[in-house]
Amino acid sequence: MSHLIIAPVLLPLFAGLLLLLLRSVLSVRIHRTLSLIAVVGQIGLAIALLSRVHSGEILTYMLGGWIPPFGIVLVADRLSVWMLLITALLALPALLHGVRGTDLRGRHFHILFQWQLFGLSGAFLTGDLFNLFVFFEILLLASYGLLLHGGGRLRTRAGLHFVIINLAGSTLFLFAVGTLYGILGTLNMADLARQVALVPAEHLGPVKAASLLLFGVFILKSALIPLHLWLPAAYANTSAPVAALFAIMTKLGAYAILRIDTLIFGSSAGALAGMLDAWLLPLALLTLVIGMLGVVAASALRQQIAYLVVASVGSLLTAFALGSAAGIAAGLYYLPHATFAAGAFFLLADAIASRRGGFDDRFEPGVVLADRKVLGGLFFVVAMLSVGLPPLSGFIGKWMTLQAALPHPSLPWIMASILGTSLLGIIAMARSGSVLFYRAEAAPVDSATPLRVGTRTRELLPAILLLLLCLALVIWAGPVDEFARATAAQLLQPEDYIRAVLEP
Amino acid sequence: MMEALMALVIGVLTACGVYLTLRARTFPVVLGLTFLSYAVNLFLFTMGRLTIGRPPIIHWTAADYADPLPQALVLTAIVISFAMTAFVIMLSLKAREELGNDHVDGRDDA
Amino acid sequence: MLSLLLTIFTGSVLTAWVSRFGRLYAAWAAGALALLGLLQLVPRAAAVFAGETLIERLAWMPISGLDLVFRLDGLGLLFALLILGIGLLVIVYARYYLSPRDCMGRFYAYLLLFMGAMLGIVLSENIIQLLIFWELTSLSSFLLISYWQYRADARQGARMALAITGAGGMALLGGFVLLGEIAGSYELSTILASGDVIRAHPHYLPMLVLVLLGAFTKSAQFPFHFWLPNAMSAPTPVSAYLHSATMVKAGVFLLARLFPALSGTPEWAWLVSGVGLTTFILGAFMALFQHDLKGLLAYSTISHLGLITVLFGIGTPLAAVAGVFHIINHAIFKASLFMAAGIIDHESGSRDMRCLNGLWKYMPHTALLAMVAAAAMAGVPLLNGFLSKEMFFAEAVSAGTHLQLGWLLPVLITIGGIFAVAYSFRFIHDVFFNGEPIDLPKTPHEPPRWMKVPVELLVALCLLVGILPSLTVEPILRIAAAGVLQTELPHFDLAIWHGVSPALLMSLAAALGGGLLYAMRSPLFALHEKYCGRLQGKLLFDGLLAGVFASAGSITRWLDTGSLQRLMLSFFIAVLVLGGSGYIGSGSPLAGSRELLELDAISLIAGLGLILAAVATVVLHRQRFVALVLIGAVGLVVSLIFVKFSAPDLALTQLSVEIVTIVLLLLALYFLPQRPARESSRPRVLRDVSIAALVGGGATLLTWAVLTRPYGSIAGYFLENAKPEGGGNNVVNVILVDFRGYDTLGEIAVLALAALGIFAMLEKLQLPGPETDEQGRRWNRDTHPAVMASLTRLLLPLALLVSIFILLRGHNLPGGGFIAGLITAVALIMQYLANGVTWTQSRLPANMHPVIGFGLLLAAATGLGSWLVGHPYLTSTFTYLDWPLVGKFEVASAMAFDVGVYLVVVGATLLILIHLGLMHSASHASPDPQGPR
Repeated sequence: MSHLIIAPVLLPLFAGLLLLLLRSVLSVRIHRTLSLIAVVGQIGLAIALLSRVHSGEILTYMLGGWIPPFGIVLVADRLSVWMLLITALLALPALLHGVRGTDLRGRHFHILFQWQLFGLSGAFLTGDLFNLFVFFEILLLASYGLLLHGGGRLRTRAGLHFVIINLAGSTLFLFAVGTLYGILGTLNMADLARQVALVPAEHLGPVKAASLLLFGVFILKSALIPLHLWLPAAYANTSAPVAALFAIMTKLGAYAILRIDTLIFGSSAGALAGMLDAWLLPLALLTLVIGMLGVVAASALRQQIAYLVVASVGSLLTAFALGSAAGIAAGLYYLPHATFAAGAFFLLADAIASRRGGFDDRFEPGVVLADRKVLGGLFFVVAMLSVGLPPLSGFIGKWMTLQAALPHPSLPWIMASILGTSLLGIIAMARSGSVLFYRAEAAPVDSATPLRVGTRTRELLPAILLLLLCLALVIWAGPVDEFARATAAQLLQPEDYIRAVLEP
Repeated sequence: MMEALMALVIGVLTACGVYLTLRARTFPVVLGLTFLSYAVNLFLFTMGRLTIGRPPIIHWTAADYADPLPQALVLTAIVISFAMTAFVIMLSLKAREELGNDHVDGRDDA
Repeated sequence: MLSLLLTIFTGSVLTAWVSRFGRLYAAWAAGALALLGLLQLVPRAAAVFAGETLIERLAWMPISGLDLVFRLDGLGLLFALLILGIGLLVIVYARYYLSPRDCMGRFYAYLLLFMGAMLGIVLSENIIQLLIFWELTSLSSFLLISYWQYRADARQGARMALAITGAGGMALLGGFVLLGEIAGSYELSTILASGDVIRAHPHYLPMLVLVLLGAFTKSAQFPFHFWLPNAMSAPTPVSAYLHSATMVKAGVFLLARLFPALSGTPEWAWLVSGVGLTTFILGAFMALFQHDLKGLLAYSTISHLGLITVLFGIGTPLAAVAGVFHIINHAIFKASLFMAAGIIDHESGSRDMRCLNGLWKYMPHTALLAMVAAAAMAGVPLLNGFLSKEMFFAEAVSAGTHLQLGWLLPVLITIGGIFAVAYSFRFIHDVFFNGEPIDLPKTPHEPPRWMKVPVELLVALCLLVGILPSLTVEPILRIAAAGVLQTELPHFDLAIWHGVSPALLMSLAAALGGGLLYAMRSPLFALHEKYCGRLQGKLLFDGLLAGVFASAGSITRWLDTGSLQRLMLSFFIAVLVLGGSGYIGSGSPLAGSRELLELDAISLIAGLGLILAAVATVVLHRQRFVALVLIGAVGLVVSLIFVKFSAPDLALTQLSVEIVTIVLLLLALYFLPQRPARESSRPRVLRDVSIAALVGGGATLLTWAVLTRPYGSIAGYFLENAKPEGGGNNVVNVILVDFRGYDTLGEIAVLALAALGIFAMLEKLQLPGPETDEQGRRWNRDTHPAVMASLTRLLLPLALLVSIFILLRGHNLPGGGFIAGLITAVALIMQYLANGVTWTQSRLPANMHPVIGFGLLLAAATGLGSWLVGHPYLTSTFTYLDWPLVGKFEVASAMAFDVGVYLVVVGATLLILIHLGLMHSASHASPDPQGPR
């Protein structure tokens, strides 16, 4: 039993602790360096784990040495490590942008940031439903702090809504977990998967209700309609690095849906097998459409990006909802793309807004941007990326999804939604771009940031890093495709997971 | 019929919580969330079924014990909801400063 | 082929870069690169002329069947030559066309990008890869058309082109995915070979429609034709390129490329030739009535592409050959015509044919070139246009003989021909003769030498092909046609004189009719102004787009009102729907068979009391202080319930949490507006009450459903192992610190996070406290009552002792770190309440961060200890010590963990409360309006 499995959880925890205990001792510079080192280490750990699980081995870690299903167990399979890696890779650029001043606009930025990662890693690795709840709470509280970081009217208001709706969500989570325990008498997810298959018909009611309530919680987290309304305001009004980091938060909800759908209600779940599928596809498609309408309707860039996040969750879960190996694989390819693209876009939007003076990021013919060539070029690429134009990763993900949808009975709907929304996206992006970069009347404002080439490149480096990650997804599409398919195959064999956990 | 009473209590607490969280001012919303946490803690607790006079403390006289696991879970849940409540209370103060009133949307139509 | 594409794409970047050193460098670089590209084709050309099809493969996503595969056959070679050759001429031409104000680097970078994308289309073997380049052409043409971004018409034209060709691209993606599914591969070699399978497949029609949508939008076929005239706002070199060898030709290329796979069905025939014919006639008609020189040429392009489309629609091999032939000819004369138009615009400052007259005098050389090219466009003998047009008429006639109403086809086509001749006449006569120029911005003159050279070359080609077809164009035409048909060619000869044939008669009719039509133009123009003046696709499109934006806006605003109440409502409704449908859907009974406990009076009373208090809280929630007292009562009863049902730990915890929460709320209440908020409207209250009732009812039913069902759980294990393995009698505590210590670690992390978050949030928060309470009584400013103060000071040590005791015994008896922590916190809070902030501050550090940090560190680090002995994280150990007096005493490493919990709880709770306290003292310090008493 290798301690490597729990390392991604402990590293950010202790990093945050260190920063907390030495907060008055260390200088800002050292704070930032430590924080960055921790995140780099996190990437290293994720890669190390990936090399372990790549073969298809499912690693487990019994906390306190208590055998499952009694103790809490961590499970590292291809999916969870994939999520860990994506999170870490997203966190680094976000933090790099954060250390350029955002972290000083309030207290404890780095501690909250580290513990956000702590919560995320814990959530991805745990194999215990109640423990998943606990880590949801951790990352939520950290995200509350980060979201409100810096303060401001709109930000506080969005934060208030975000906190309250999520508290309601947590309550729902407990109702669901409690009911499952009350009938199935266990909390370990693998054990739940076993028990679910054995439930006698007359006791199915509470289990089914609880499962759908749990699904409801994850709908809220992943911002599927009708519970997506918390996202636009929250993401549009928080600081850029936080918004970028939050690109992974909705994907956490998607992860949870995929996990329970394949593990607990997977092929071996008897009467309850695939009980979520009937709900997932329509919701996902609707989210895609509604989200993209929001993109078209947006009156400011950040708001537009936030709606892009909503839409991307829609297409992500559309892929997962197909239920086939190809569909899940398409989703698993699309997931990092959507995450990195959204992150890059939020960081870029910050750079653009900071140069437009009073116009901020509103879609009004404003000032001629300083560094418009660089920013315009980046905007063009990120926009292509986000609406899934070739040859970038968004297109590949979209194409894989379409290909996977071919055997599906509701192929016309899926095809129509995906292609139609892409077109809407193109139109909306063309408009945003031409308003922000072409229709500039006033003279350039000398923005707060000095425009020497050095500073500019350093300012845009994080966004460029994320773009390079997307580029890597294109260049190494083959290997990623292979890994995604292997992961999907593993998920569709829940027995392996269950055996790995319960019969170590 | 203890169970029926318990179910009723949980239902009422939930209903009160739901109604209050649908109000427009921060204070009742906070109360509502507190109600919801009462309700869910009781619910989680009862999932180990109701047992009278058999605390899960190992003792040579005791024959049988209540299910300790839900109790442990509820304890965790209480702590977490305490933290959350504290946070949301303070946030409502923050909102009162930033928004200028105690309306959840910052609209002062009172 | 890969090397060729790399040359062009890297070239695009290179040109942008070199332009920093001088604007002309960009032009030179671009020209050199295009030439280099042409040279790279030469060695391969030989093999292709020998009838080979070259394939280059580069693995990319093998599992998903998407590799980078390039294909060079006759068709590809022909197009590659056109793209590079005409591209080269355009580069030379643009060098003189662009004004010093225009950034050359950007222009040539975009141009090469576009060129590379076009080459990618014509050289792709994999259709998904073809689509990638297809979309790239849409994007790069957007950049080219919007090159003069400061001009509104350029921006709009570019966005329209992108929207329409983009839409086509999406349809094409759908079509190609289907096509790949049907053919079993995305690679052309397979697809072209499996035409019969494809045509027989049930998905054939939807696939065909989607693919054709792609082709028609790109090649500006009716009803998508209008983007092309609006793209005229691009610099003329760009128009020359887009209209001749590229962009619109990509559409007909697709028809040619997939001809063997898709053609040969009635659907194909009707769709393709129908659309083509409409476009052919409509385009020719519109062209005649344009007053803008480029406008006329744009509509003539539409018309000629319609012509080519008809030919592929007819579907006979010979027709396909004619189609390919006309693609070549049109590319040549249309490029030269646009360049000529550009020269005229450049040297005379206007493109309006109502002002441009009699330019023959001023620029005879250019005029001559333009007239020859226009004659080719009209299909005058001895010019290349004539040959392909003859073939077109002949095919129309022979196709007409097959179907009923067949005679209609040649007639319609002749009508189109008449208009074609007419607008060609106009281009020549109106511009170069027809009197004197009318107030032009500048006096026209010949352009610089090298601006004309590209035109001269192209016009020379028109003549050569027109006079000596078999020596010039035939070989390439043959291999290209072979590439299209994928079989041996039908017999054809490119003679100038076929004797008197129906086709010849049609040409004559067209020529005469065209002359007549042009002669009587002025009344026609008047009529056109009167009736079809504002009949434009653009307006339609703009209206559509505006509609999309408007509806998107209204839908979004309707959903997203930014109201929390709306959000909560949708949440609770979702919960009802999900839970309800889940239970009802399962069809299992509500209650189970488990036998239930007796209900005793006290419990009943307690329960009813709780219900009463809860309801009262809701009813009175606007009287905030009362509501607070009531909810405190509720919490109290909840803890009693825990006592009743054998959960002493929970009872203690609930109680202490209750106290702290109420204190918090009290302190917070002080800062919230005192006046009760307005009552919500009655319907709103009714709605919320019913939702609340439904959700509450659901909770009740769910509880009932579970409690009445039999039950077995993993609990037994904990009861058995708590003592022997965990070293504690209090199973709940052992679970917390040992079995599920990981949860507890997370739990205290949450607590710490809450404290830190609150600290970060409340920093610098200054809220004015009210001067009076609701009843208008002034707040008491007296010092804190002495009795209470001294009492609490006495009690403090005692309370601390108690908490320590509870902490230590926690492992075996009710208690533990959390409860102990809260008791300590409460005890200290009492000091605040009794003695005031200042007194306590002086004795207690305000900074609680270290306490929290150390507590969490202690808890987290005890877990690490087990690593040293090779056990997993949080593995506990315990031993028995013999203390004097106390006796045999047992210490578990888990206790250290519990101490950590204790510290975090104390630290976090105090941090929060101290902050509120500080805010209070600050707000008290606010100056008293009545002045000192």
